[in-house]
Amino acid sequence: MMAVKERSVFRAVNPALLGVVLLLSVFGSVMVHSAVQGMDGGDTMFRRHLMGIAIGLVPLGVAWLIDYRKLQGWVGPLLILDAFLILAPRIPGLGATAKGAQSWLQIGGLRLFQPSEPAKLVTIVVMAAIIAQYRGSIERPRDIFKVLGVLAIPLGLILLQPDLGTGLVFVAITAGMLLIGGMSGRWFLIFALAGALLIGGGLRLDAGLDKAAGHDVFLKDYQMNRLLVFVDPTRDPAGAGYNLEQSKIAIGSGELSGKGLGSGTQGNLNFLPERHTDFIFSVLGEELGFVGGLILLALYLGLLITALGIATSSRDLYGALIVAGVISMWTFQILENVGMTIGLMPITGIPLPFMSFGSSFMVTNMAATGMLLSVWTRRYS
Amino acid sequence: MPTFRERLKPRFAILGVVVVAVLGILLFRLWTMQILAGPAFAARADDNRIREVTTVAPRGRILDRKGRELVTNRPTMAVLAARSVAENAEVMNKLSSLLDMPVAELKDRITSVKEAALAPRVVAIDVPMTTVAYLAEHESQFPGVEVATRSVRRYPYGDLAAHVLGYTGEISEDQLAGADFQGYDPTDVVGKSGAESSFESVLQGDRGLRRLEVDAAGRPKRIISETEPEAGRDVVLTIDADVQKVTEEALAQAIKDAHADGYYKAKAGAAIAIDTRTGEILAMASAPTYDPAVFLGGVSNKEWRSLTTTSSEFPLSNRAIQAQYPAASTFKAMTGLAGLNYGLTRQWATYTCRGLWTGMGKQWGKYCWNRSGHGVETFMDGFADSCDTVFYEIGYAFYKDKGEKLQKFARSFGYGQLTGIDLGGEATGRVPDAAWKKAYNQNYPEYQGWLPGDTVNMAIGQGDLLVTPLQVVASYAGIANNGKVMKPHVLRKVLGSDGKTVLGPTKEVAFAPKVSKKNLSIVGSALHNVTTIGTAKGAFRGFGIQVAGKTGTAEVTGKDDYAWFVGYAPVQQPKYAVVVVLEQGGHGGSIAAPAGRQILAELLGQRVEHVKAKDNSR
Repeated sequence: MMAVKERSVFRAVNPALLGVVLLLSVFGSVMVHSAVQGMDGGDTMFRRHLMGIAIGLVPLGVAWLIDYRKLQGWVGPLLILDAFLILAPRIPGLGATAKGAQSWLQIGGLRLFQPSEPAKLVTIVVMAAIIAQYRGSIERPRDIFKVLGVLAIPLGLILLQPDLGTGLVFVAITAGMLLIGGMSGRWFLIFALAGALLIGGGLRLDAGLDKAAGHDVFLKDYQMNRLLVFVDPTRDPAGAGYNLEQSKIAIGSGELSGKGLGSGTQGNLNFLPERHTDFIFSVLGEELGFVGGLILLALYLGLLITALGIATSSRDLYGALIVAGVISMWTFQILENVGMTIGLMPITGIPLPFMSFGSSFMVTNMAATGMLLSVWTRRYS
Repeated sequence: MPTFRERLKPRFAILGVVVVAVLGILLFRLWTMQILAGPAFAARADDNRIREVTTVAPRGRILDRKGRELVTNRPTMAVLAARSVAENAEVMNKLSSLLDMPVAELKDRITSVKEAALAPRVVAIDVPMTTVAYLAEHESQFPGVEVATRSVRRYPYGDLAAHVLGYTGEISEDQLAGADFQGYDPTDVVGKSGAESSFESVLQGDRGLRRLEVDAAGRPKRIISETEPEAGRDVVLTIDADVQKVTEEALAQAIKDAHADGYYKAKAGAAIAIDTRTGEILAMASAPTYDPAVFLGGVSNKEWRSLTTTSSEFPLSNRAIQAQYPAASTFKAMTGLAGLNYGLTRQWATYTCRGLWTGMGKQWGKYCWNRSGHGVETFMDGFADSCDTVFYEIGYAFYKDKGEKLQKFARSFGYGQLTGIDLGGEATGRVPDAAWKKAYNQNYPEYQGWLPGDTVNMAIGQGDLLVTPLQVVASYAGIANNGKVMKPHVLRKVLGSDGKTVLGPTKEVAFAPKVSKKNLSIVGSALHNVTTIGTAKGAFRGFGIQVAGKTGTAEVTGKDDYAWFVGYAPVQQPKYAVVVVLEQGGHGGSIAAPAGRQILAELLGQRVEHVKAKDNSR
């Protein structure tokens, strides 16, 4: 009897997932510690980071305990919650602006968290419910437009923030879920082409409108600059291109084994901007070199493969879709964040999962881990 | 249920491929950046954090032969301005009134010369403390302007030996590009002329280098490494400050004498004292002179104009080595010695001077300076009286002898070529010959032929012959030194950082003409006669030491006569030779020779006195 119970508890836990998440959190803490040393209030920041991990254990546990299947029936209220989370920072007395986007929730001058982070998970749950209706085959345009129509609510609101980076995360999440949900390759091709046209034409249109209106219409100037600098990094090396150049110098100069933990000159001498948040990977690359980057990517591979394993073992399509959404979210964030530090992607404010300083983000990733465990634990029942 | 899982499998496989592809792309990119391009990025990271700051090394001193400081260094408060200041009219106006310097000049100093020089430029030195204090208090009103201590040259003897010492200035773009100035910074101060330029490589020290680690805002964080600047080497010259002083005074006195004599245009000249046995220059003066201190901290346009206009007589040029004059009668020693050497005359050969010499035919008659004639003159008398007729005859004999032997002989003593003195800008002079004349008159065929008169004119030091004062004194030093012309030089030795000699005195034969001891002694005694019974008799009356010399009075078209004296002493055991030349100064015997006497007196420990002498020879 005892043996059976022990086995069931053991089977309820996914040790690989928890192990990888633990290793990533420790790795991230080490890097954040190295990045904030010498900063004003560096110690406080490091403590806040550790606290974020500790606090994150609560949503992890809650998400694990909640039977994900019950969420399938809450599409309407969840969509409203999603919209509320995204709009909350805009509510007078609740919002705060940072780095050009009004994306913080604050009460009485105390900055709480960025509600757009948990909104990603809510979006995953909602989109999974919508896509799961089609039982693994989405062919009819009607169905596709319904899916996109639901996506348009959170995506539209997030783009109004404006937060282009998070908007792209929403798109990536939906794309991954549509793949598992059975949308055909034909449609992916159509959307890829339409997206390319939209972005290309949109940028021109935006520039034209800005000129005509005399102020920024869609994209802010700094966003436009980031995109343009991505196309041509030498365009403005002291301005928007500066961050990219300094990040590349930091990572490149790490060479094989790095300059040693805490000994990165680009970071410690302030050449690297945002080095504890968006550019944490640059600190890692500089101080731990190619070896450090390889270890991190190996850990991510372990995380994502474990997650894929959980997805394939899901007892239903809904669970598989939720896991696919989380996998897509993480994969895109890794691609975007690491990619921007090495000049492969345009610079956006997307942090690196489990690594970057930022408690809203850490808590969200912990909750996502809880959701995976929720699917895993209920794979047989 | 199995069908559901079966259907999802390929889709998850695609997602897995996407995941692996994303991580693979990132890893590949990291590999190219960190492994392949790693060293290049590492260099850029170092560029970011490492600033190299150089500190100027003190320039070596210049000492006279007795160790007295002719040039040394002193600290000064300097005002520096960044290039951006030139574009800021408000700051320019304020700075202009503060430094009492026209805006245009201020702008010149900031922007002129070097585009590449990003370092702030010195716009004023020796700034009064009140100005320094004002700038410090109103720092915010003067962006790009700073005050710093700089080391500049100090001249304890004022303008003494200015031409030998030379002046310093900021390195020019041409210099910076040249091979001699590799490793120099665009703001380095270098020697521009004279010894400062000749011995630049030893006078210039090695800059100190401090490598700092700076943060992104450029704030220094720590010193990575530091090399102390190494001071330049001290240079000891052959110049004797006492002799130099007397030489310059003698030249100045000669100008006054010339004015008193009615030669009001006399302004410029040169004088040299040389050791006949070694070629060491003990004094070298050029008039008019300049004050090397005006170049400190950059010369102003006004000052530069005043030093380079025609009416200024070009005080920057060192006439002792750069001016080319007709040699006049000083050349008769060459003609006489050459005549003896080639058997075209003898010590006691006689000539008859009737005032007008018609040796080349009646229509080509030439006057002796003494138009009433010297009567019967021996070769020896020809020197004492400076009789032109004697040397017309010898010159004509050279013409008839063919082979341009007079020219060859003059060249063997160094005429028409560089002596190789260790000062820049030396002129070669000119020993004319048939080939030269043909080339020189290439557009005038009727003037291309070499005529008897050409050789005859050269024989008395006129015609197309041009010499530098240095060539003249070197050739006489050669006569005094048994026919060996020692290479003239101003560098005695270079001292190491411990004060010990690292490069000793040199003694080099510049020219070794083929000439017999007998002939040298004949000419030597003829030159001795010049100061006892000849044209310099008045100048050397009562002089305690026997002197051999020659006066000269050069005719220059459109100008007053140029006065020459060259000589050496003591006659029996010669030590020193001197030359004095004064443009438009009149007669050598009355103007130049007394100056020569003063210099020789100082060299030989005699009382330096100014004598008045009469001479109307040429």
